[in-house]
Amino acid sequence: MAAAPAQYSRGRSTVAAFRLSVLQFLADPQWLVPSMIAPVIFALVSFELFRVAGPYFLTYAILGAGMMSMWGQTLYGSGWATGQDREFGTLEPTIQAPTPYLYVVLGRVLWNVLSGLIGGLIVYLVILVVAGGPPTVTDPLGFALLFVFIMVTLASVGVVFAAFYVYTRYAGFIQNIGEFAFYIGTGCMFPVVLLPFFTNPISLLFPPTWGLDALRYLSIPGYRGFEWGFWGDLLGAVATTTAYLGFAGMVFYRVERHVLEEGNLSEY
Amino acid sequence: MLSETPAIDIRGLTRVFESRKGFLFREATRTEALRGIDLTVERGAIFGLLGPNGAGKTTLTKILSTLLLPSTGTAMVLGHNVVREADWLRPRMGLVLGGERGLYNRVSGRENLRYFADLYGVPLAERERRIAELISRVDLDWAADRRVEEYSRGMKQKLHIARGILHRPEILFLDEPTIGLDPKSAREIRKLVRSLVADGVTIFLTTHYMFEAEELCPEIAILSKGRIVARDTVAALRQLVGGDRTLEAEAYGFDDREVEALRALPGVSKILSEEFGPALRLTLRVRTGETQPEDVRALLPNHPELSVRERRTSLEDVYLDLVEEEGH
Ligand SMILES: Nc1ncnc2c1ncn2[C@@H]1O[C@H](COP(=O)(O)OP(=O)(O)OP(=O)(O)O)[C@@H](O)[C@H]1O
Ligand SMILES: [Mg+2]
Repeated sequence: MAAAPAQYSRGRSTVAAFRLSVLQFLADPQWLVPSMIAPVIFALVSFELFRVAGPYFLTYAILGAGMMSMWGQTLYGSGWATGQDREFGTLEPTIQAPTPYLYVVLGRVLWNVLSGLIGGLIVYLVILVVAGGPPTVTDPLGFALLFVFIMVTLASVGVVFAAFYVYTRYAGFIQNIGEFAFYIGTGCMFPVVLLPFFTNPISLLFPPTWGLDALRYLSIPGYRGFEWGFWGDLLGAVATTTAYLGFAGMVFYRVERHVLEEGNLSEY
Repeated sequence: MLSETPAIDIRGLTRVFESRKGFLFREATRTEALRGIDLTVERGAIFGLLGPNGAGKTTLTKILSTLLLPSTGTAMVLGHNVVREADWLRPRMGLVLGGERGLYNRVSGRENLRYFADLYGVPLAERERRIAELISRVDLDWAADRRVEEYSRGMKQKLHIARGILHRPEILFLDEPTIGLDPKSAREIRKLVRSLVADGVTIFLTTHYMFEAEELCPEIAILSKGRIVARDTVAALRQLVGGDRTLEAEAYGFDDREVEALRALPGVSKILSEEFGPALRLTLRVRTGETQPEDVRALLPNHPELSVRERRTSLEDVYLDLVEEEGH
């Protein structure tokens, strides 16, 4: 009788997926440029528009643009990597490996969040140069912590998006239509409260909406966002993020079952 | 003892694909890819599954390797159910779907192997050594650190196989491992496959190529339109089609009367017709020594262009006969 096979580890699989993402990025790093164009332009325009309104609007502009880049990177990256797995034909061997696919996705999402952060930093540097100095932030430590947390909220959305990409090859199509709506809906571009009332309930379905509103409360004095204020935002962000991650854990098993029934793993 | 169970045990397996096309006006199509498969494969050898395009070879391979669920019936691999015990099976099986796809093209061959070694939990202390060993076993030492996008088809195929055996599976599924390879590369792959059996791996291999099956597989099954139409040793299959002699008559068309006359010749068990450009070829399986090429010529006096040849029935003929019976 053959020896027992090696035991996979979820953590190691996540690290491996992260590592492969980095290697693939390094093999072809120029894609960062096109994904930076829109956020940088947005940052410059809002800077010009808001410069007269006082120092905090600079923060506002940077937050919007930075989030836009991170949001795009996370969503795109996470779903897109699975879409690429379909295209490369690597989805089948990956699903066939003993590690649940969720842990591979997690590794990639981590990389995407990190690369989104690089994008956010570039936006920040551009603004720094244009504005001639750093923006005013009232609570730098709180800001930093909340910022990291927002990256987690983004990751949770990324994981759920990846599930869609495993589920169907049409996910990319749906995401392309939805992307701009997300930027607006989650308050990257304008505070959500400025939007028509009917969009609010929808945008509240996305954890980053809550997180971003909290960040603005924290860093812009006199900011008027959601009526429930900073702590309400924070609570909402934690709750929705938990829900997303729980949902992802749940759906991944079913999604995998579904694709094995359909036999569409190699379609793209 | 577990190892007494067969490597593969399939009962009444079917698989139907329901696919919908179109966006607004969805059109449903239904394909019965497998229509009731029963098959047992013993451990420790190479088993060959042959069949024409669309016969269901890949479908069956994917079901056995837990990548696709059957519609009805059961499939056991290494004594475990492929649907309910996929978690037990996955670390113990290898799958090579092959072809141009299935690899990360922008990173090196070695990195591809590292990634999958991690997903399979190959012990970290052993990982690099095992990868290096495999790379030389498949003769890719010189290219291991190049990007896969620079690989030729044969090199990719070798990398696929290295990936498939990285975690030392007990059973390996190879779907058309030599398709699209030049004769030399194909020979190298076959040599590699044979060497795996020596390590005690059970191999389930699909192919279009009769000689490949003949060379590698003690036993084969022929799949046609989702059914197993024959399963035996290569030698026994040769006997099966009745007639170890084959006569081929070629001309610009034959009429029905002529074909009937040929059929009435002594010892002729079967006549197949096939178009060859402008010509038509009739292939006669002849059971005994009674009917000779002259007899065929004598029955077809109105064809000045006629040519008649005799040869030994090949496994290729056996295959075509069996597949033909199924209406291909
Ligand atoms: N995902 C799918 N959706 C719909 N039909 C499918 C799907 N996969 C396979 N089929 C159909 O099932 C049948 C068997 O296909 P399969 O790929 O198993 O054949 P095969 O023997 O591997 O052929 P080939 O020699 O060309 O590789 C074909 O008619 C094919 O069109
Ligand atoms: Mg096939």
